[in-house]
Amino acid sequence: MSQYASLLIALPLISAFFVPIIKAIGKKVVMPFLVLITAIQMGMATWVFNEVYTTGKPIIIMAGGFRPPVGINLYIGHFAALFVLIIAVASFFMAIFSMKAITVEPKDKYAMLSLLLMLGATGMISTGDIFNLFVFMEITAISAYALTAYNKSGEASEAAMKYIVLGGIGSSFFLVGIALIYGSLGTLNMAQIAQLAGQMNPTVAQAALAMLVFGLGVEAELFPLNAWAPDAYQAAPHPVTAMFSAFVVKAGLYALARILYLTHAVGSWGHILRLLIILGTLTVVIGEFSALRQTNVKRMFAYSSISQVGFIAVGFALGTQAGVSASIFHMVNHAIVKALMFMAVGYVALELGGVTLEDFKGLGKVMPLTAFAITVGAISIIGIPLFNVFWSKIQLILAAMKAGKSGVIALILGASLVEAVYYIRLIHLMWFEEGSRERTRIKENFVFGTIMLLLVALIIIIGVAPNMTWNIVQKASADIYNVAQYIKNVPLLPGVSP
Amino acid sequence: MNIGVYYFGAISLMLIGLYAILVKKNLLKILVGLSIMETGVNLLLISIGYIAGRSAPILSEGIGPNQAVDPIPQALVLTAIVIGVATTALALTVAINLYETYKTLNIEELRRLRG
Repeated sequence: MSQYASLLIALPLISAFFVPIIKAIGKKVVMPFLVLITAIQMGMATWVFNEVYTTGKPIIIMAGGFRPPVGINLYIGHFAALFVLIIAVASFFMAIFSMKAITVEPKDKYAMLSLLLMLGATGMISTGDIFNLFVFMEITAISAYALTAYNKSGEASEAAMKYIVLGGIGSSFFLVGIALIYGSLGTLNMAQIAQLAGQMNPTVAQAALAMLVFGLGVEAELFPLNAWAPDAYQAAPHPVTAMFSAFVVKAGLYALARILYLTHAVGSWGHILRLLIILGTLTVVIGEFSALRQTNVKRMFAYSSISQVGFIAVGFALGTQAGVSASIFHMVNHAIVKALMFMAVGYVALELGGVTLEDFKGLGKVMPLTAFAITVGAISIIGIPLFNVFWSKIQLILAAMKAGKSGVIALILGASLVEAVYYIRLIHLMWFEEGSRERTRIKENFVFGTIMLLLVALIIIIGVAPNMTWNIVQKASADIYNVAQYIKNVPLLPGVSP
Repeated sequence: MNIGVYYFGAISLMLIGLYAILVKKNLLKILVGLSIMETGVNLLLISIGYIAGRSAPILSEGIGPNQAVDPIPQALVLTAIVIGVATTALALTVAINLYETYKTLNIEELRRLRG
């Protein structure tokens, strides 16, 4: 029964190839088809989530019935179940949003690429083989390049070109890391890598892990490799921006954390943690200060998203279970908030034709519901109590305190202060300033309003009663942190050694 | 021949590619650099699976599993080559789009998005 979970990968893949046939039936059917497939995916993800969390056991899918490490296995544990659900829900909302937000032809290519993007991120999170991870990463990356360039404007092509060049360097680095690991351990299966990691030469392991961190740093938007992110966020179609921020970057971060904790037995592990803490800190600092001086609101949110990613990376780099839990909690909250905010900004751009600060003056009178959604998101991201991000920031601070890293506490508090400056400026602009142009109130779309209110409700529910989510998150973090359990869960074929 | 030659060649190809990406101003040259770098990585993977004195991992007369080199890196490289082709094709498409919009491929003149 649980083998049906492999449909999570199979369904988007086969539907993507069905898109041309659907287009032949009728051009108007393509976007509803996309919504339908993402809805089915959401249903399946809910079932898998329920299955994993009620039985407490991960679902292991062995491709072709070969037991690992001979065959490739998928590992849908507590973490993967949670994030597959988040990916499916975000894709579903954005599929609805793109019915109106995507105006450029060819829409069938858009539907195909966004299905492949969803497939790639789902695969990255659920695979149990490091080379398979690389393949899924490339599927995600190539569809992300194409979606960035989708608007065909000069800016979009330029952003996509930056992304392609950086992504190409990153994937080469990642492959070198895989080559080093395979060369010293002779296996690609993640469970077996974890089993044998202690035998690796510390210097080789350090080089391999550094290569993998830099390779994944492109997808995970860590500092020296995230130059593409603000451009791509600004130039990509609005639903795509929301998807990038909600789950593509999360898939990269997950892969980073998973590989990092699988190899915690290698001698030079502490050095890699230090590297990641430095990269994360720089990401936060540079992201926040760049956000401060933006006049384009979408770009400002992009920089804010990047600095949140820095927090998550720092949390993973603490090397304790509390840090991992806090980071995953922050990932969940960030996915909700940023999906909401990018959707709201995209909707503003659709109605008013621009997203500069000038356009946002007096938005509270023109589009009150959207302005309200952005306000809740902004207040939440700053970290004000009774909103969801407050709890994950507090958990990060507590974890840093336990790990004895006082610098991280200062970083989080200082960054929250900078966030408060630019978000409160935006809130002030929206509600208390008059726009220069006379504008009448726009009738807001009912469906988009419902989605935005749903996400706002989620933010407030998690903010008021964080315990339920916190329990789920702790199980997910045990899945990543507890490597011995991970090895035990994968039914490795006995007697097959490298 | 010593296996070190292959490692040296692979790493030199990667560094040549990286140099082209970082230094060249023409977009097409940057993309060529990217391809060279990918080739270097592929060569590195192949050399890791090489065992001196053995033949290609194709089961045929006189060649059993013990006479062949490690087949897994070769399978990996096949996949990596396909992915590389897809990336290059997409990159060239984007480069065509860029040239049609701005009438130049010089990256110093292609900077509309800043800050």
